[in-house]
Amino acid sequence: MSYRSFVGLEIHIQLATRTKVFCGCRARFGEEPNTNICPVCAGYPGALPALNEEAMRLGYVVARALNCDLSPACEFERKNYFYPDLPKNYQISQFTRPLGTDGFIDLEFRRNKRRVKIRECHLEEDAGKMIHAGDQSLLDYNRAGTPLLEIVTDPDLEIGEEAEVLLQEFRRLVRYLGVCDGNMEEGSLRCDANVSVNLEGQGLGTKVEIKNMNSFRFVRKALNYEIDRQRDIIERGGTIVQETRLWNENRDVSESMRVKESSNDYRYFPEPDMPPFVATPEFLTSVDDLIVELPIARTARFISDYRLTDAQASFLCEERQIADYFEHAVRLGASPAAAAVWLMGDVQKLLNRSGTRLSDSPLTPDRFAQLLTLLDAGRIHGKIAKQTLEAVFDDDSDPQEIIVARSWEQITDPAAIDAIVEDVLRSNPQAVAQLRAGDARPKGFLVGRIMQATNGRAEPRLVQDILARKLDVQFVQVLSFGGAISGRRRDDGVIVAGELSQLIEQVVRDASLPADIRYEAVELGRFLSEEVTPNDWAGLIGAVDAHLSVGDAAGIVVTTGTDTLAYTAALLHWLFGGADVPIVLTASAMTGDAPESTHNFKEAVRIAMSGGAGGGAAVDSPGAVSVVFDRVAYPALNLKFERIPARAASTDAPSVVTPAAATPAAATPPAFRTWNPDAVRDAAGRSLYELQSLTVDAIAERLEAAVTKSFIAKVFPGMQASSLTALIDSGTRFFVLELYDSGTANVGETPFGLRRALEYGRRAGALFLCTSQQEGNVDFSPYITSHELWREGAVPMGPLTTESVYGLLLAVLLTSDSWDPEAVSQAMERAQ
Amino acid sequence: MKTELDITADLALLELTGDERVRLEAEVSRLLDYFATMDSIDVTGLEPTTHALREGNRLRPDKPAAELASADDAPSAESLADDILEQAPDLEDRFIAIPNVL
Amino acid sequence: MSTTSIRSWRAVLSDPDRYGAALADRNRALNAFLEIDAKRRPAASPAGAGEAAGAGEAAGPGEAAGPGEAAVPIAVKDNIAVRGYQLTCASRMLENFVCPYDATIVSRLIAAGYQPVGKTNLDEFGMGSSTDNSAGGPTSNPWDTDRVAGGSSGGSAAAVAAGMVPVALGTDTGGSVRQPAAFCGVYGLKPTYGALSRYGLVAYASSLEVAGILADSVDLISDVYTAAAGIDAMDQTSTWTASPPSSETRTVAFLSGDLGLDQRTTAGYARMRDAVASRGYAHTDVELSTSDYAVPAYYTIATAEASANLARFNGVRYGERPLYAENPESLVRAARSAGFGSEVKLRILLGTYVLRSGFQEQYYQRAQKIRTAIRNEFDSLFATYDLLVLPVFPTAAFRHGADELDAFQQKVADKFTTLANLAALPALSIPTGVFDGLPVGIQVMGPPHSEARLIEFARVIATELPFERPPGYEPLSTLPPSGSEVA
Repeated sequence: MSYRSFVGLEIHIQLATRTKVFCGCRARFGEEPNTNICPVCAGYPGALPALNEEAMRLGYVVARALNCDLSPACEFERKNYFYPDLPKNYQISQFTRPLGTDGFIDLEFRRNKRRVKIRECHLEEDAGKMIHAGDQSLLDYNRAGTPLLEIVTDPDLEIGEEAEVLLQEFRRLVRYLGVCDGNMEEGSLRCDANVSVNLEGQGLGTKVEIKNMNSFRFVRKALNYEIDRQRDIIERGGTIVQETRLWNENRDVSESMRVKESSNDYRYFPEPDMPPFVATPEFLTSVDDLIVELPIARTARFISDYRLTDAQASFLCEERQIADYFEHAVRLGASPAAAAVWLMGDVQKLLNRSGTRLSDSPLTPDRFAQLLTLLDAGRIHGKIAKQTLEAVFDDDSDPQEIIVARSWEQITDPAAIDAIVEDVLRSNPQAVAQLRAGDARPKGFLVGRIMQATNGRAEPRLVQDILARKLDVQFVQVLSFGGAISGRRRDDGVIVAGELSQLIEQVVRDASLPADIRYEAVELGRFLSEEVTPNDWAGLIGAVDAHLSVGDAAGIVVTTGTDTLAYTAALLHWLFGGADVPIVLTASAMTGDAPESTHNFKEAVRIAMSGGAGGGAAVDSPGAVSVVFDRVAYPALNLKFERIPARAASTDAPSVVTPAAATPAAATPPAFRTWNPDAVRDAAGRSLYELQSLTVDAIAERLEAAVTKSFIAKVFPGMQASSLTALIDSGTRFFVLELYDSGTANVGETPFGLRRALEYGRRAGALFLCTSQQEGNVDFSPYITSHELWREGAVPMGPLTTESVYGLLLAVLLTSDSWDPEAVSQAMERAQ
Repeated sequence: MKTELDITADLALLELTGDERVRLEAEVSRLLDYFATMDSIDVTGLEPTTHALREGNRLRPDKPAAELASADDAPSAESLADDILEQAPDLEDRFIAIPNVL
Repeated sequence: MSTTSIRSWRAVLSDPDRYGAALADRNRALNAFLEIDAKRRPAASPAGAGEAAGAGEAAGPGEAAGPGEAAVPIAVKDNIAVRGYQLTCASRMLENFVCPYDATIVSRLIAAGYQPVGKTNLDEFGMGSSTDNSAGGPTSNPWDTDRVAGGSSGGSAAAVAAGMVPVALGTDTGGSVRQPAAFCGVYGLKPTYGALSRYGLVAYASSLEVAGILADSVDLISDVYTAAAGIDAMDQTSTWTASPPSSETRTVAFLSGDLGLDQRTTAGYARMRDAVASRGYAHTDVELSTSDYAVPAYYTIATAEASANLARFNGVRYGERPLYAENPESLVRAARSAGFGSEVKLRILLGTYVLRSGFQEQYYQRAQKIRTAIRNEFDSLFATYDLLVLPVFPTAAFRHGADELDAFQQKVADKFTTLANLAALPALSIPTGVFDGLPVGIQVMGPPHSEARLIEFARVIATELPFERPPGYEPLSTLPPSGSEVA
């Protein structure tokens, strides 16, 4: 039997007014009990409510931001019920004519855009607080009369996670608007829910109200608990009782709150103490004046106007103050891309360390823009910029003053450097001649001399540029990363990893390549593809990072093995996809001396030196990283290594694999194809992650830890939950789970269902990242079992292959400070 | 079986016993019968009057009472809060206490 | 005349102890006051009187007090807040309640040179027409102590009639100022809804009630009204108009038809008609088609609002609490059951009932539509006539107890007074004289904010029908100088 759940929310926010909604008491918290009270909010005989204009205005602001129809006139009613914390024993609320109706809020849940309908927004007064202490209940009315806006959604949600996402989006919205601080723990944002479960297609079931959910997490847990509880009752043939239940956060269960049926008759009637409110044109204008650009729109604008990644834009737009700060710095001349990277990385780290908010930190937008301008103009280099940033935090002074006082400024005058280079070249004619003749080796010596002559203050990139220009050559960095392409075949036919030199020798005088290319070779290891370890990867990452930061090459070529190429390429893509230097990986099934290897290498050099990312004819790469194999160029993501008959159609799905084509493996040369090419082309083409100047050792350490905690599991018929729980027991925290074709899996309660493993993993803090075994997106929406997967915390990874997701996971774990599955999951979802 | 009077009394948080209950039940039903005479007037097309007078908006600026000028001898917000607590039948520090047998 | 009497009233407060003792003494037979204290809240010094917060010009009583002159005493119904005084509403529920704040009208009057001297008796929470329904015991009528003073502002009416104070505040929800004024033979003004702030009036029926003034002269009614009226930020239903209707009266309508009046009232009504005729006003008889529905509509709305207004009395933050309760709900039940009198419980039950889902449309909403019909009828009436004259109550003061009029009959008899409350209109009860030992008051109603017209009309009529005082109750302002005892 399949079930459907319906969840609607009733969200309450305290509006950030100075005074209470119906009296002049300060709406202020954390004070001595019963200090902000007066005859009105204490429910004294003879006192009357007087509507606070600002509360009304902020209520309309929220309703407008939620796309509601704004009531031209609205009215207050008395909602009659007895409770000791409700001073008048009726609550002034809105019933027949709330201030806003029929709105919606957009959100993105598991990469699906959702629109949740807002039924209404109405203004009311908060009650006091009642604390239970032994055989007494203690009452504090400081909170009584605080303006409260209630927002009611339609039962459009299905599971706790969705409700949590809605609440988070809603909180972001109200914080943007400045109408509420959205603190659930302190109760300025509260949420009740109604939940019903029914057989699929049968409409709403019996409604149960859930209260006392005091955090986003409790909302998620309580709703999922309630959905399970109702489903179990229906499965056992029972009936759901319409009731109100309270979430017990200590026991992780909900408990029935016994209420007499008569107390449900609230006897609403118009509040005679206040005239109806009419929204005049002036009032509506004042509401408009308070509407700001909202997070979703602002995020979209940041992506399109500043060419930021989704991840950057959502980070910056999470809080209005940060987004404002960013735009302020950009107006002052900071480059948007750099500002985003720095704010997400180094600045955030310093803020965390000092425990300050950006707006209160010594780093004013002015200083931040100054720092980035200095960096951009080359007056300081990256490492100095980081030191300068720290100095701004420590000394509370301007970057300009800091670099002058500490003599950190680089020599960036091209004319000055030009003169020094000229001088060095003149004094070393032999090295120059060697370089001009085709040997790249003397370059290091010359650079050393130039730096010596400037006390190390010459801007390194300028040095590299001027040197190359004066010599009339361009440099390519060739990194040998094992594999057959750099190996040779022993007499017994076994391939051993070899050296680069023979490969380079094959192409160095090749007339089809520009004659001014000089090859600098670095050997990172002699191993075969399948022997790659986290340490090797760390060496590769460190080397690429170093070359990029020094700027000593017009292009980088990585020769590597075939079998792990899809992983390595993805990993490099996520780390360096935004580099301004092309990085081309190439491999071959043959040894370095084979013509095929030479061809691949030549093609890789050609692309790397063609002056732009993805220069190859067949590549439509979304970033700097690309792959050349068998003379065909591919984007770095979603590579599938396989033998297919039609090589030309490498970016299309094979039509029908005939037995004839599949059998003689040797007859059909191996090739790659790109899985979901459209989606790959859409992927962001910038570096998503900053290595934060990690040393190779640190990279190796992190990678090793990440790899140890990760596991790729392919779902298969008969797979048992116990296999996964055993892995969790032994420390696995990150699973890439390859699901069936459409993103489904058995999630039943049997040993062959994954439910137990998913539940177990959720409790243990494990993360399940879902990919599909076949062509097609992991689109969960139409499948019931997929809903179960979400609910248990599985995260769909959309169109990415397992290898690309694994690369992404490593990139995230490598560059973030956190192993928290929640944070990792968010970072991964943002990346896509 | 609860009577309408019992349900109503429950909503109003009143306990009615003995003679009082009997007498009130009679009086309530006599008056409800009297109210029923309203049925004989035609009110078709009439809007209900919920407020005595309908004039424009009356709104309060969002200013704390403590910042508004008031009569010289008016008590301060603090002393008003204290006077209010003075009337509470049972206090525990500044909390108003009510019994709640566990 | 009034200037002289005001001057003499000022004099009594120059010796508040003696005055207080005289009040207590006179109160023994009448029980008009529930609390007497002529010293607790001195009026503002005359110099500060100009700072009164009224929307209109603050007017001093009678004439500005000379240097060293004391204030004018005023009695305040015990459902109106006066800081430092009790605020019992004649209910056991609030037996020991001391009020921490002032009603807006009280602070305005104190600023204008009036001084509260005590809190007057009423039917519990204003619910009644006799002041017999008081936890503080009944008030008797100074014209005949076997008879009621009327209600619910019976204490205020008796105190003015008996010469204890020249003026008193009351509240009028369905006739509670005008009916006791008529029973005791004093003037009683029920202003336009909202003209006097309700802030500090313990609410019975919020959309119907307004503070009112009872006095022994038309001038005092006018002075006190002017000093207290105006927009109040604390009461968003308060109203004021810069362009009130003309104070001039040309045409007067008399309510006619089968009014069911007793002999005295019939005579009083006729005397009013003669006075109007002799002063040369054009006058016509009119009938009101909606008037039969006023009382059921009134009680439906009033009790509905009361059921919510009185919900706050639960023994938690103030007021009576049972000695023992197991939990908050049983505390509230016990407090309310012990604290409220029978008539209050009856009205709370009725009000709760007419608001319940399933009954609300039949009762409460229908009553609100009838209210619209009544207002419409008055709108067209005052388009033609300047004033409407009609009885206040079908009878003169009745005897204590239920023998002459039982509780139900008393409610039905509100048929003339509730009209002004339902239509939010001003009405003034004018004494027409004494008939077979009892006074009869007749009321005059006008369009919204026509208080000045009503007052001018009453001044004119007063020349025909002078104010009379019950025998043996010379005003305390005329007491012999200190040393001699009051009889």
